Amino acid sequence: MQMTAEAKSSNQSASKSGASREIFLPPERDRVKDGGKPHLSAKNFSIFYGDFEAVKKIEADILSKYVTAIIGPSGCGKSTFLRAINRMNDLIPSCYTSGSLMFDGEDVYGKYTDEVQLRRKIGMVFQKPNPFPKSIFDNIAYGPRLQGVKEKKVLDEIVEKSLRKAALWDEVKDRLDKNALGLSGGQQQRLCVARTLAVEPEILLLDEPTSALDPKSTAKIEDLIEELRGSYTIAIVTHNMQQASRVSDYTMFFYEGDLVEYAPTKQLFTNPRDQVTEDYITGRFS
Amino acid sequence: MADRPVHEYIKELSNSLVILSDKVVKNFSAAIDAISGEAAQNLEEVRLVEDEIDASEVRLEESCLVFLALNQPVARDLRSIITILKINTDLERVGDLSVHICERIAEVDQDFLRDFHFEKMGYVAKDMVQKSIQAFVNNDRKLAEEVCDMDEELDALHRAVFKKVSAEIRVGEMDSNQFITALSISRYIERIGDHATKIAREVLYLVTGEIVRHVEGSFEKLIQSLKD
Repeated sequence: MQMTAEAKSSNQSASKSGASREIFLPPERDRVKDGGKPHLSAKNFSIFYGDFEAVKKIEADILSKYVTAIIGPSGCGKSTFLRAINRMNDLIPSCYTSGSLMFDGEDVYGKYTDEVQLRRKIGMVFQKPNPFPKSIFDNIAYGPRLQGVKEKKVLDEIVEKSLRKAALWDEVKDRLDKNALGLSGGQQQRLCVARTLAVEPEILLLDEPTSALDPKSTAKIEDLIEELRGSYTIAIVTHNMQQASRVSDYTMFFYEGDLVEYAPTKQLFTNPRDQVTEDYITGRFS
Repeated sequence: MADRPVHEYIKELSNSLVILSDKVVKNFSAAIDAISGEAAQNLEEVRLVEDEIDASEVRLEESCLVFLALNQPVARDLRSIITILKINTDLERVGDLSVHICERIAEVDQDFLRDFHFEKMGYVAKDMVQKSIQAFVNNDRKLAEEVCDMDEELDALHRAVFKKVSAEIRVGEMDSNQFITALSISRYIERIGDHATKIAREVLYLVTGEIVRHVEGSFEKLIQSLKD
């Protein structure tokens, strides 16, 4: 349907038609260094399950090093869109796309795109923590080993660095050889983030990463997102609107496959431009 | 669709604000009536109602804070609660100023005050407060803008009182204390107009989502008004 992370208030009609792709950066104090470039660009991008168009002609740029939240009611296409970014939907036989989705100037769905390399650069963390039934160390080292890293010293460094970035190092440094399934749910989820970071991705996709966690673990994941902001481009699907408003710089609101509104989070949650957005975020949805 | 409980609750808070505004306007009317007599009687009544206004203001603020903490409203719901909180504070200040007017009236001769036409100032200020609340109830942007424009009329009346007092004190034939009291009354009524204007601006925020205070040109307007 539309648009970019632009202020719709500045040019609503242009953004509706998708004609304007002007980038709207946060105020100076909230800006991140070297951020704000279109990291992912969807142009006329649709996703189908058979005949059903689950995501309809999206026109949007996801900006580098910022956090973009994707919200909307169940079945609106938000998870489908997120999973399309690193081609997780390829696993569904009836699923196909049209239009283009560019990542760093290269077509995600290009004929010669290497899905494995793509998923290394665009990591994903799921709703339910899914550590491998291996030691904490081996979970983190799994990806780098697949890439050919063999030296113990290098792997040690990667594991420590990744666990530190995921704010888990202090809690597990003395039991790296213990089974990851023995960690709490919140720790397991941060382990999954660390496992994703170990292969040095550029983009992190988070699909309802805290919906199975208690408030304390949720807070730790949210703090982690804040820590990673500015280093990685992050897209998070969440049903928790307070979470979207807390952690994100930009918010996309999907409804029935359309990208209804895409705006700076502060604007969308205080003064949305679209009545459907207003009704959804204030709970007036029928 | 039918309103959800949270939206019913916002309506209840809005209704409480309207009830508070009724008390505030009633008290202000009593203060204006006191200018043409009955000051001693009215002062006691006004003080009693003012105590009720203060208690209502605190209760309403507490209710809004609890609502914010428990419901984390966004968009229009958030703007509604913030608007109610701000208008609540402005109304309470109007209540205080009504008491101050009554107190000043008790200090001076009633005949002396007749020359200043405070009834007219009071009428304009009261109209502004009532219209600003009406704009809040009906989400009426046009009416809110009208209230903002009315402030200029009230300011002009206040400036006229200022000039008169200034001239009389310069001549020095009468008790300057009485003139200073008259100027205070004028200032209080003018302040009430300012609070009504603030309420109207909050309504504009509620309706449009834009904060219209300190917008471009407002400083120049202020300077021009001082020159006038």
